[in-house]
Amino acid sequence: MKILAIAIKDLTRSFRSAFAIGMMVVAPLMLTGLIYFAFGSMSSGDVSMTAIKVGVVNADKLPDNSVLNVPIGDNIRSMFFDESVKSWIEASDYADEASVRAAVDKQEIGVAVIIPQNFTERYLSGKKDVQVLIVSDPTLSIGPAVVEDMVTMMVDGVAGGGIAIETIMERLQANGIQPNPTQIPSWIERYTNWYADFQRNLFHHPDKAVLVLVAPAADETKTANPLAQMMGLTMVGQMIFFAFFTGSNSMMSILREDEEGTLARLFTTPTNRTNILIGKFLAVFFTVFLQGMVLMAAGRFAFGIQWGQPASVALAFAAQMIAAVGLGVLLISFVKNTKQGGPVLGGGLTILGMLGGLFTANIPGGMPEAFNVIGNFIPQGWVLKGWRMALDGSAAGDLLIPFFITITMGIVMFAIGAMMFRKRYA
Amino acid sequence: MNAIEVKNLKKSFGDFQAVQDATFSANAGEVLSLLGPNGAGKSTTISMLSGLLTPTGGDASIMGHSVTKEPELAKASLGVVPQDIALYPDLSARENLVFWGKMYGLRGAALKSRVDEVLEIIGLTDRQKDHVGKFSGGMKRRVNIGAALLHKPDVIIMDEPTVGIDPQSRRHILDNVKELNRQGMTVLYTTHYMEEAAELSNHIAIMDKGRVIAYGSHDELIKMVGQETRIDVTLNAEAEKILDAWRATEGVARIDSLDGKITALVDDSNRVLPRLFDAASKHGVRITSVDIQEPNLETVFLHLTGRALRD
Repeated sequence: MKILAIAIKDLTRSFRSAFAIGMMVVAPLMLTGLIYFAFGSMSSGDVSMTAIKVGVVNADKLPDNSVLNVPIGDNIRSMFFDESVKSWIEASDYADEASVRAAVDKQEIGVAVIIPQNFTERYLSGKKDVQVLIVSDPTLSIGPAVVEDMVTMMVDGVAGGGIAIETIMERLQANGIQPNPTQIPSWIERYTNWYADFQRNLFHHPDKAVLVLVAPAADETKTANPLAQMMGLTMVGQMIFFAFFTGSNSMMSILREDEEGTLARLFTTPTNRTNILIGKFLAVFFTVFLQGMVLMAAGRFAFGIQWGQPASVALAFAAQMIAAVGLGVLLISFVKNTKQGGPVLGGGLTILGMLGGLFTANIPGGMPEAFNVIGNFIPQGWVLKGWRMALDGSAAGDLLIPFFITITMGIVMFAIGAMMFRKRYA
Repeated sequence: MNAIEVKNLKKSFGDFQAVQDATFSANAGEVLSLLGPNGAGKSTTISMLSGLLTPTGGDASIMGHSVTKEPELAKASLGVVPQDIALYPDLSARENLVFWGKMYGLRGAALKSRVDEVLEIIGLTDRQKDHVGKFSGGMKRRVNIGAALLHKPDVIIMDEPTVGIDPQSRRHILDNVKELNRQGMTVLYTTHYMEEAAELSNHIAIMDKGRVIAYGSHDELIKMVGQETRIDVTLNAEAEKILDAWRATEGVARIDSLDGKITALVDDSNRVLPRLFDAASKHGVRITSVDIQEPNLETVFLHLTGRALRD
């Protein structure tokens, strides 16, 4: 009972300290939140983007005796009205250049695409003075760049079509076959259809695309939402760093009590000194546990983080608690007073956190191999490994190696620290 | 059975002997004061009695329980009021008392009612929900005492509880000590204020340089110096010019000089003082002030050590 009373008293004091609450919960959530807002909202699991408003003026006409069935301008225009882009492009037709420019000026639309009257004729005749004009709102950057890319791709496709026709003609003639000019429109039509379909599929139907990126996650949600996975790693990095900070900071309560005189007073009561130390260690466990629970819940509900399978999460979390408390007890056992404690906590834990990879957890491709090797000697590095596996959807069985290594490190650190405290106080 | 029994208690820190063969006792229900200047070894002695320090030699017992062999039992009979405030500033007065009560094994309704009683005793019932950190020095001192009373200990140790507080709070604490003693509690009170020791104590142990140099009741200690009166004199010249002449003056038992002030113990100030003035005139020294004090604990300390208690 006395052990529990000491632990509850320490917890009460911790949760009444604005600094402790700030470092336990507010700081990790705030840092993760900053990254979250920097990369956009993902609470629903979707990456949404404001639709690009595009005004199109298509003055292009099919020249007489053209080999094409429709003018190139029609193909360019149709890209912006295609069903597949409706979720992110809002296109509308304008009668002439003046009216579409006025719409841009009034910020009714973000980008204007102006296809000149004789675009098809001049482009097919190889004259380079003809061009599709793109006018954009100067305050925008992404929208105009996307529209420009789309127009360039279509025009390049048409140029590619021309090259394809020339190649077919040359090959036929080289083989002594006289090409039939009436077949050219059907060749162009087939090529155009293929090219338009290819472009559409490339960007909107990953299954048909040339290159398909598949994340190695077992969880379908994460495959569909790689940014959520990145937030998970960010949150894990913050959570581990601040869990270790909290472990050490809570353990500093023994130094604070020493300075306040209450530790000496505790020793004058009929309470075994070992029990006093156990009570204080228990408070550190509770604090790190509560902090972790709050951060995981906040990460789930505020940032949509999928922590992984419950058993795997439990293992990663337990390892984190044991390691954070173990390192806290060890570090503070070397510290003489709270003045020394500040730099040890601030400097020591930041360096260990960096070497353990906590601040670079979400860098795509990871850090150089040397960092991974160093991480193997640091408890934070092993805690991170466990959490990475949990986030990737690994089963609890797969986490056993990092789990056992982490808790072994934690228990050894705890034992050394507790021994030093006993020597000092008991 | 003595409530407090101290026999040949020793404590050394390396080569430094903080307490040397301290021996004294206190009967149940009495107030025993440990009187001595700063560094005399009072706090080290009570640290050993309260189980904070392990004696290097000797032993002590509280209500018959040896502090070295049965420390838990000895501590259970003991309430300790530390010299400095030892409370949690971010907990309320009530939360502090509840916590310390639990440390002495109190639980449930008994704890609640005892905390209410103690709040009443220390006069802080109406401020019980306020954080101790917001209290004045005197109020903190009262909570500091209250925390030691929760388990109704047989013996209470108070280590200089009136240091650095206002006269009103000091009076409140002294009255509390008397009231606790009236209720049957044995009090071991350390102080370097002889007035407090004189007012409160049944017995007084005077400590200096780690040793108990005198032990007895107030009257017994005064008798040690007979009827000697203390005379403090300041001069307009160096003390050395007159010191030897005054030492040879009839009726002067002892004479010392410190920081320009001469302190003499004399058997009858009415007879001796004119002789001192005569001698001063003959040596061309002018006396600028004279302070005469009847025999008291200060005189006893001076008689035993040659130094004033507050030096």
